[in-house]
Amino acid sequence: MQVALMDYTKFRLKPDPEIREVFGQANRMFVLSCGKCYKRFEEEGEEQYAHLVEVLGDESNKTAGNVRIDFLCNEFLSKKRISSLDFSGCESIGVISCGLGVQFVARLFERTPVYALADSVPHSLNYPTEVGYHGISLEEEKCAACGQCYLNLTGGICPITNCAKGLLNGPCGGATNGKCEVNSSVDCAWVRIHERLKKRGEQLSSECVRPRDHSRPSWKLRSDLSLQNQMLRGEGFYGGIHPLEKKEATADKKIQNFPEPRVAVIFLCQHAGRRAKPLVEVGERVLVGQKVGEADGFVSASIHSSISGKVISMEERPYPAAPRNELAIAIENDGKNEFDPGIQPREDFEELPKETLLEIIKESGIVGLGGAMFPTHVKFSPPKAVDTLLVNGCECEPYLNTDNRLMIEHPEAILAGIRIVRKILGVERVFVGVEENKPEAIAALSRLAAKSPWVQLVCLKTKYPQGAERALIKRVVDREVPPPPKGLPFDVGVIVSNVGTLFAIYEAVAKGLPLFQRVITVSGEGLTRPGNYLVRIGTPIKDIIEYCSAGSVDGVLQQCDVKMGGQIMGIPQASLDSAVVKGTTGLTVLRKYPVAVSEERDCIKCGRCAEVCPMQLYPLFYGYYGKKGDLGKAIEHKVEECVECGCCEYICAAKIALLSFIRQEKAYARSANKA
Amino acid sequence: MLVVQIKPKEEILPLISSKRIFILECLGCRDVHYPVEAAEEFIGDLKEEVVERASLDYLCHREFAQEYIRAYASQVEKAEVVLVFSCGVGAQVVSSLLEDRTVYTGCDTLYLNGFQGLTAKEYNCEQCGECYLNYTGGICPVALCSKHLLNGPCGGSQQGKCEVDPDIPCVWQQIVDRLVRLGRLDTLERLGAPKNWNVSPAS
Repeated sequence: MQVALMDYTKFRLKPDPEIREVFGQANRMFVLSCGKCYKRFEEEGEEQYAHLVEVLGDESNKTAGNVRIDFLCNEFLSKKRISSLDFSGCESIGVISCGLGVQFVARLFERTPVYALADSVPHSLNYPTEVGYHGISLEEEKCAACGQCYLNLTGGICPITNCAKGLLNGPCGGATNGKCEVNSSVDCAWVRIHERLKKRGEQLSSECVRPRDHSRPSWKLRSDLSLQNQMLRGEGFYGGIHPLEKKEATADKKIQNFPEPRVAVIFLCQHAGRRAKPLVEVGERVLVGQKVGEADGFVSASIHSSISGKVISMEERPYPAAPRNELAIAIENDGKNEFDPGIQPREDFEELPKETLLEIIKESGIVGLGGAMFPTHVKFSPPKAVDTLLVNGCECEPYLNTDNRLMIEHPEAILAGIRIVRKILGVERVFVGVEENKPEAIAALSRLAAKSPWVQLVCLKTKYPQGAERALIKRVVDREVPPPPKGLPFDVGVIVSNVGTLFAIYEAVAKGLPLFQRVITVSGEGLTRPGNYLVRIGTPIKDIIEYCSAGSVDGVLQQCDVKMGGQIMGIPQASLDSAVVKGTTGLTVLRKYPVAVSEERDCIKCGRCAEVCPMQLYPLFYGYYGKKGDLGKAIEHKVEECVECGCCEYICAAKIALLSFIRQEKAYARSANKA
Repeated sequence: MLVVQIKPKEEILPLISSKRIFILECLGCRDVHYPVEAAEEFIGDLKEEVVERASLDYLCHREFAQEYIRAYASQVEKAEVVLVFSCGVGAQVVSSLLEDRTVYTGCDTLYLNGFQGLTAKEYNCEQCGECYLNYTGGICPVALCSKHLLNGPCGGSQQGKCEVDPDIPCVWQQIVDRLVRLGRLDTLERLGAPKNWNVSPAS
């Protein structure tokens, strides 16, 4: 889609004589040039610097190097970048950017002269009215941000930015044929206002309106607002977003048992790693909790039946966690709910040695229930010693309340789970991170934590993706995990485990229950029975949506997106024929957004993706090179470090399908690494 | 960066009283600033019939706004007033797409210092078109001096604070301090041409 985009580039090189003047007094100048913003993203070389060198001619040896930094005004990222540069032998710094970049660099180099080599570009549409600020999109409408909006009186056409004289009380009378007398190439704003109002059957107000307050909005107000914004954004870790939480609908709903499915569809791969080997055959009768799939290899996990009944098929079916088909065992319920006789509670579970505990976890098929589904027994056998267990109760995804409800209703079980894991890992310190939007859970846990001095409850300011383990580790224990794909939390002595997983560990160890059921939140728009349910694994998604919307589900997918998981990281379901797996944290039903993300749109360099990326990457490059099909280039921009939290795609003002590009590029990087 | 505040009720209610309203709310810049509570209160207190409240993002993007209006066509049709909660740019885009409907905005727009990206800055660039930073130690008097003075302090500052607003530091004091640290105070002796406040816009 090629749309005409305005170019709001904020600066241009200073006139040649002025550049020469600057270099007349400066020597050995290192030049930092900003990659420009608010314009269509194009691959730009170093033309600005090249022009500079050309202007200087014989004096070009006065420059000592040039580096391009995108979004120079992004202090956090630019500071990191600049501190990695070598400025030895430089006597001054030149900056090609708008005033923001220059002022930032000037502040950074308190004792080195910093020179501006560019002038900003004013973007008033109808000069000589005052500056009109554009929105985040590259459209021609502008706003003077006067703080006193007149649009309600003028049919939605702003006389401040559109009238050359900024008149608020009607036309000046100088317009000829509807054109402005100051600039005849521009339409008279007041003629347009009249015509717009006529179309709407409205007329100009005959009442007195508030005269315009020409003083600038108070410095205090603006600085309060910016301070608020800085605190909100900088809290805990770099980046992140604050989506609407939408947790109210299910936050107070007790966990209820979801009816057993008539047919359970049990996938043989419900974990990261190799698919489990089937242990049963079609026609065989199985019991609740009976092992039906054996872990195949070290990174794999066992699979258990969630109902009692007969195996009716074993075939590939649509898999909910990825757009592919996977082998699944379908079991027809006999309604008897007969448990495997091997399932026995262990009274003495607190006394068991750690090897036995680890074996129970392995046999019970426990994987990370936060969604990643990494086999827990592997995670708990780190190749390096760890000193800290970090329990993840953040649940920063909108809509979801599974962890929240578990913490409220089963704090003892979670604490027992923590004791078990603490023993396995042999760690002293345990932190439990919970976001402050879960006061009930915090109260429940803190009552218990008070009795166990080795547990420290940490309340965190709500921000997505707080629950991403790297962000959480940084926030709670202030350690930086080396970048993925190689760096893992145990490299800094930390293991992170989700509260849901700890609950499952308790259930497995104390009650002998393998992982055949889990708590999910079903929430979203248009549901009559949103709630938190304990469902048997393998329950078809269709059954759940049908139950919670109390009616037929035909056509749901036409109007809504059904995601496995929450709104942001949830995996969209192409059909409802899949079933709950161990990593299903919830089902979120969202009205289809009128504009879908696209791989076609152009990046407008607003810089938001770089501002929200918790891994401190520049996701705009992934979209740019992805669209060009130049997947390898993304590796240079560290695509492998991406954790796919989705912040960039969420905030993208051009709605570019960044995640899709990132996944392609990461797959390309993996195959390139293998080769 | 543009940020919004909800207009006083006295200003909006007379315009929309006893009309059916379609609310279009823009959350695109919510991570910069959006007065969520004030908006909730305003919308919650409305006595008028709200046909629908659509919370979307980036209303300032014409292509998106067009799709939103298409998706909510029947609700727009049913409503007598479309009430937009967005910055002045979003309100103008929606208004121009719904030329024959009554569109009102519920917001006043301000700007935050340092309006690129998401993170507000303590300093600002007014995009005046003629950069003075080379002569002022990298601190901008155009944006930061209450009187926009370019030729030195007005003389009214007290203890380094501005006489217009004692909450603001005197920017000329800061400029002089910085230049002293750099050993470049003589920069201020340069005679420059008067500022051309008329710099032509981007060509």
